[in-house]
Amino acid sequence: MASDSSGGAPKKLSTQEILAKARAEAAKKAAGAEAAPAPAAEQAAAPEPVAKPAPVTEPAKAPVAAGAKPKSTAEILAAARAAKAGAAAPAATAPAPTAPKPAPKPAAAGGSKSTADILAAARANKAGGAAPPAAATPAADKPAAKPAAAKPVVAAAAAVSDVSVEEMLAAVRPGGAVAKTVAAEQPVAAPKVAPPMPPRPVVAPKPAAKKGAAETRRGFMVVLAMLASPFFIAWAAVTATAGVWTLGLARFMLPNVLTEPPSKFKIGPPTDYDLGTVATKWVAQFGIWIVHTDQYKSKNLIYALASVCTHLGCTPSWLEGERKFKCPCHGSGFYITGVNFEGPAPRPLERVGIRLSEDGMLEVDKSVKFQEEMGQWNDGASFFEVTA
Amino acid sequence: MNPHPDLTSQVIRSLGWLYLALCAMNLVWTFRLGKAKASVAALAVWSSYCTALALLAMVHLTKFAEPQNFPFFMPLSIKTQIDGLANPVIFFAVSTLLFIAMIVLREWWTKPTIAWLILNAAILFMALSMTDYDFRQIVGKPDNVPIVAMLFIVGFFTWLFFSRAVENDRRIALGKPTVEKEGDEKVLVWPDLVYSEMICMIALTAILVIWGVVLQAPLEDPASSVKTPNPSKAPWYFLGLQEMLVYYDPWMAGVVLPSVILVGLMALPYIDFNKNGNGYYTFNQRKFSIITFLFGFIPLWIGLIILGTFLRGPNWNFFGIYEYWDVHKLEVLNNVNLSEYFWIRGLDQPLPAAGADASALVKTLAILKREWVGLAAVLAYLLLLPPLMAGTIFQKFFVKMGFVRYMVLANLILFMAALPIKMVLRWAFNLKYIVAIPEWFFNI
Repeated sequence: MASDSSGGAPKKLSTQEILAKARAEAAKKAAGAEAAPAPAAEQAAAPEPVAKPAPVTEPAKAPVAAGAKPKSTAEILAAARAAKAGAAAPAATAPAPTAPKPAPKPAAAGGSKSTADILAAARANKAGGAAPPAAATPAADKPAAKPAAAKPVVAAAAAVSDVSVEEMLAAVRPGGAVAKTVAAEQPVAAPKVAPPMPPRPVVAPKPAAKKGAAETRRGFMVVLAMLASPFFIAWAAVTATAGVWTLGLARFMLPNVLTEPPSKFKIGPPTDYDLGTVATKWVAQFGIWIVHTDQYKSKNLIYALASVCTHLGCTPSWLEGERKFKCPCHGSGFYITGVNFEGPAPRPLERVGIRLSEDGMLEVDKSVKFQEEMGQWNDGASFFEVTA
Repeated sequence: MNPHPDLTSQVIRSLGWLYLALCAMNLVWTFRLGKAKASVAALAVWSSYCTALALLAMVHLTKFAEPQNFPFFMPLSIKTQIDGLANPVIFFAVSTLLFIAMIVLREWWTKPTIAWLILNAAILFMALSMTDYDFRQIVGKPDNVPIVAMLFIVGFFTWLFFSRAVENDRRIALGKPTVEKEGDEKVLVWPDLVYSEMICMIALTAILVIWGVVLQAPLEDPASSVKTPNPSKAPWYFLGLQEMLVYYDPWMAGVVLPSVILVGLMALPYIDFNKNGNGYYTFNQRKFSIITFLFGFIPLWIGLIILGTFLRGPNWNFFGIYEYWDVHKLEVLNNVNLSEYFWIRGLDQPLPAAGADASALVKTLAILKREWVGLAAVLAYLLLLPPLMAGTIFQKFFVKMGFVRYMVLANLILFMAALPIKMVLRWAFNLKYIVAIPEWFFNI
C-alpha cells in the first residue's frame, strides 16, 4: 500500500485516500483541542494515511526515528509507534481505521515474523521507554492485517519490555482478540478521540491441555451438543427436504394414468391399404404413415414409417402429387420408401414394427424402431409382405 | 378483372398515410437544407419532391381509395424480374456484392444526401410493394413487422458507424484529432444522462404499448407433436440458425457452430491485438476486424434472417417476395454425398460396405474407406489451412499473435467460412454432406 504511492506525483485521490486525509485532519483538530495528548494524536494520525501519496516523510519526522535512516514505510511506522509509545503512552493507541474491515485474525497479526519484523523490533527496543503494554492491542486491530500492520505490533510490544519476539507474539495473540471486539464496537469514533485504553490483555494461554483430558469424559455430551447445534439441524432439514423432493420426482415419473396412446395398436386388415398409397390417417393420433409400395427392393410391402423427420424431428407432410414426404422445417425430402434424397436429413425415415396379428388385422408396434442405415429394414418385424 | 383481390380501401388509405409521413420527413429534411444554406437548385428539387409526395398521399387518401381504379401498382414486369432472381445462389451473391460495395463505397454512401436518398428509395419500394398481395402477406404478418423495422435499424446503425468512421479516417489522414477527441466535453450524469434515459424509457414504453395495441399477437393452433405448421419458422433471431440447419447436420448447425460463434465472440478481446480504434470510430485502422465481423454479421446473420423471413415458404422452398406461396411448388433438390460422388460417379463402383454379419472392426474400416475422401478434405481444411495461411496471407498476424492466439483466430475464421463454403457446394453441386456417417450420427 505505502510503497505503491510513495513514488510519483500525487494524482487524483481515491475515496479511501480522501477519507483517510479527512480523518487525519479531524484527529489533528481533536488533538489540538485536548492539549495534553497533542503530539501523540499527531503521531497517531500519521500512520493512518497509509495509502496517501506521501506517508513516508510524515512519520519520518518523528523525533526518535529521525536519526535512523528510514528503509521502508513499515519500518518507519514501527519506529514511530515505538517512539510514541515511549514518549506519551496513553495516546499511542490510535487504531488506523482506514478500512473498517472486520478485524484480522489474531494469528495473522502476530504470526508473521520476518527479518523486517525483527529489525523493527530491534529498532523499537533502541527507542526504548516504558510504554503501557496495551499499546499493542489497538495496533493489532489494524485492518490491513498484513505484515505491514503486524510489524508495528511487534515493535510496540517490544518497546514495552525486553522480552523475546516469541513471548511478545504470545502476548499479542489474545490481545488481538480483545481489540477486535473493541474495534468492532466503535470503529468510527476511534480516530477522533484517542480511545480509552483497552485493558491489558490477560496473557493467559488457552487451556489446551485441559481439553484433551475432558474429552473422554464429556465425549458423549459433546456429540449430543453437536447434533443439537443449529448447523446440523439446518443441514439435516435441507437433506431431508431434498430427499423428499427426489422421491416425489421419482413418483412423478410413474404416473397412475398414461394419456398417451398405446404403443401397440391394430390398424385394420392389409386390404385397407392399396398398393402405391400412403395412408396419412394415423398421423394425427399415432404419428405413423402406413405405406404400401413395391418400390423398395421390388418387394410388395406394407410398412409403418414414423412421422418424425430424421433431421430435427419435425413432422413431414406426404405430398401426393410429388410422391414424396417433405419436411416443412428445413426442406428435407424422402421417397415413398422413406429413403432421404433431398435437403439436410442425413438418414431415411425410421420404420416401426408391424405384423399380421392372429385375427387378420395388421398390428403396429411403436416400441421398436428399424433404421435403414443400420440394415434393420431387412428384419421381418419391420414390414408385412403382401403375397397376393 | 381486378388482379389484386385483396387490395382493400384500408390498405390504400394506409399507404396514403405512409406517403404523407414520408412527405413530412422530407419537409424536415428540406428545411434543414435551407438552414444549412444549400443551393437554390437543391432546395427546389427537394421541395418539388415533397410536393409530389403530398399529392400522392392526397390521391391515395381521397380519389383512389377504391381498389378498382387504383393505378399505383408495382409494375408486373418488375415483379416478375425480382421473383426471377429469387434463388439462394443469387440472394447470397447479391448480398455479398452489396457487402463489398458497402465497404468499398463507404465514403460515397455515407454522405447524408446519399444515405437519405437510399432511405427514401427503400421506403418507396416498400410502399409500392405493399400493393402486392403476397408481399403484404409476408411483410404484414405480425411476426414479421418487427423484422422489417429491424432492417431499417440495422441500416441506420451501419450508416452511423461508417459515416463516423469515414469522418475520423479523413481527420486522421490529415493529422487532425478525431471527432471524439475534439468534442471531449464531460456532461453531468444528472440531469444530462438521466434525463435522456428517462426520455428513452418513456418513448420505448409508448412504442411497446402502441405495438401491443395495434398488432395482434400471432397466436396459432395449440401445439401438437404430430402436426408441424408449414412452413415452420424459428423465431426471427434464430432464422440464421435455421438456415444453417438446411446445409448442416443438426449436431453441427445446432450445437457446434453456435457454440463456436459464442466462444468466438467471447474470445475476440483476447485475439485482438490492434490497439487502435479505442474510444473512437475508425475503419482504416481496424480494417481486418471490422470486415471480418461485419461479414459474419451482415451477410451471414442478418442476411440469413432476411432470407428465412421473407424468402422461405412452405416446405422450406425458396419463394420470390411477390410469389404465391404454393405448397406444391416443385423444387428438385436431389442431394448427393461426397462419398457417392467419389465412388459411384467418379470410380463407377458401389459404395464400400461390409457384410451384415461382419465384425465391428471390419464395419468401421468399411465406413472409413467409404468416407475417406471427405474425412481427408475436412482434416486438410482444419489442419493444413492454418499453417498455410500463417505462411501466406496471415503472416503478419502469426508473427504478432503467437502460435496459440493465431490458431484460435485461424480456426474461428475457418469455421465461419465453412458456412458459405457449404452453402455454395450445396447450390453448385447438390452436395449434401462431405462426410456422411449416419451410422455414427456424424455428418459434416
